Amino acid sequence: MPVIDVTDLSKHYAGRTVLDGITFSVEEGEIFGILGPNGTGKTTTVEIIEGLRRADRGSVRVLGLDPVEDGRALREVIGVQLQHTQLPDNLKVWEALDLYASFYADPRDWRELLDEWGLAEQRNTRFAKLSGGQKQRLIIALALVGNPRVAFLDELTTGLDPQARRATWELIKQIRDTGVTVVLVSHFMDEVEELCDRVAVFSGGRIAAIDSPAGLIAGVDAEHAMHFTVVADASEELFSALRELAGVSAVTVDGAQVTVTGRGDFATAVTAVLARKHVLAADLRIDRRTLDDAFVALTGRAFER
Amino acid sequence: MATATAKLTVVESKLLLREPGSLFTFLIPLFILIVFGSSIGPGDTTLVPMTLAIAIGLVGLYLMPTALATYREKGILRRLSTTPLRPRNLLVVQLLLQFVLALVSCGALLAVASLALRAAMPANLIGFTAVFVLGTASMFAVGLLIAAVAPSGRAANGIGVLLYFPMAFLAGLIQPAGQMPAIVVQIGEFTPLGAFRKSLEDVWTGGAADPVLLGVMAAYAIVVSLAAAKFFRWE
Repeated sequence: MPVIDVTDLSKHYAGRTVLDGITFSVEEGEIFGILGPNGTGKTTTVEIIEGLRRADRGSVRVLGLDPVEDGRALREVIGVQLQHTQLPDNLKVWEALDLYASFYADPRDWRELLDEWGLAEQRNTRFAKLSGGQKQRLIIALALVGNPRVAFLDELTTGLDPQARRATWELIKQIRDTGVTVVLVSHFMDEVEELCDRVAVFSGGRIAAIDSPAGLIAGVDAEHAMHFTVVADASEELFSALRELAGVSAVTVDGAQVTVTGRGDFATAVTAVLARKHVLAADLRIDRRTLDDAFVALTGRAFER
Repeated sequence: MATATAKLTVVESKLLLREPGSLFTFLIPLFILIVFGSSIGPGDTTLVPMTLAIAIGLVGLYLMPTALATYREKGILRRLSTTPLRPRNLLVVQLLLQFVLALVSCGALLAVASLALRAAMPANLIGFTAVFVLGTASMFAVGLLIAAVAPSGRAANGIGVLLYFPMAFLAGLIQPAGQMPAIVVQIGEFTPLGAFRKSLEDVWTGGAADPVLLGVMAAYAIVVSLAAAKFFRWE
């Protein structure tokens, strides 16, 4: 049975359609990504699942619980990190964890969380005195202190420096490794690609696709390029042979530097031709297709950050 | 859940004590009492009611709405609504603690006034209690309305200060009512703080509080807190 089951969710605000037929399910123990630019309904969807908002239509079940009817029971088993949440300036780290632990029937030992999240030294530090990364770690630790079965993390690395983001990613993997299902809302491609087992791509209040990041990328037949340098003099005959290959759309030559663009698996054919003609190619490089390409192909528009 | 609310009360008490504003709202009326206390005659019945009204006014208009609006601005009320604890509990705990702070502040004023300044104490204790409760309720209602409509803690603070000075003037807290034009005094008695100050003075001199003024305070307490409940947003 899926941990989260969302069926045909719709929501309108002031005559504007915010969500339109959102349907997906999240399996136990996975990191499920909700990806899309700002304003495509990601946060609204998650807030409906958490019971903070109500949908106009559709149904939601989290571990079999209805967020509206069984709100009390639901809140015992979920942990939430909201966008832009802060704590009182003068609240100390241990006080925050101790307080939030007391809200739950079966909390985790918050002293363990202090260690796991690298906050042991900040135990007696007030919230206002923490660094950005420390604040973020505390907010995530608070989402886990109730010993949840599902954790919702919304844009958790926004505003962090690259090093802190990497460190946070490792921690998210740790959460999953302890058996907690994670729903990750993000507008960062690299984050989703690195962390998520499966991703729902949101576009204009709808889901454009659901797949693993690799599956999404593989499903895209976008034009991409391979580059190499020819060591010996290459003849015009070689280039025309390359142009003839299936999938190749263009070959451009700039001195010894050759760029071949095309669709599908044309790169194998290109290397075969080079070998057959005994052309020595150096610095061979194939542009990797990315989740960005997948996003553009799926939604028909560039990803606006 | 009982332990959660108990823990919340402990944590919120600590936060209130760490908040510099709490100390100011406690010290300002005390400072006024001591400075002006040296020039009052024995058995004075004007200064102590004035300082009590200032103390309640500062907590109700300034400290409490700023605290509540900050909680909303920081997303703390919203964050709590994703936990088994209801955010309503935080509001109730905050209101109770602010009320306790008001009680402690007024207790300190009465202690200093009676022990050090030999000022008169209220002759009519039951009347005093009724006036105190109604006056505090009406000022807290105004504070709740500020917290309900202010978009941020800073805005709540600003609105509180903007409201406090005209209200304090009309209430006869900036200069004694005896030195103000009669019409201003009359208008002032229809403001919550003015009705509170005048009723306190009435019970201080041994008389009964004017039922009209009690009605004014009760009306503010009920109508304004209903408006606050209507306009209050959790996010």
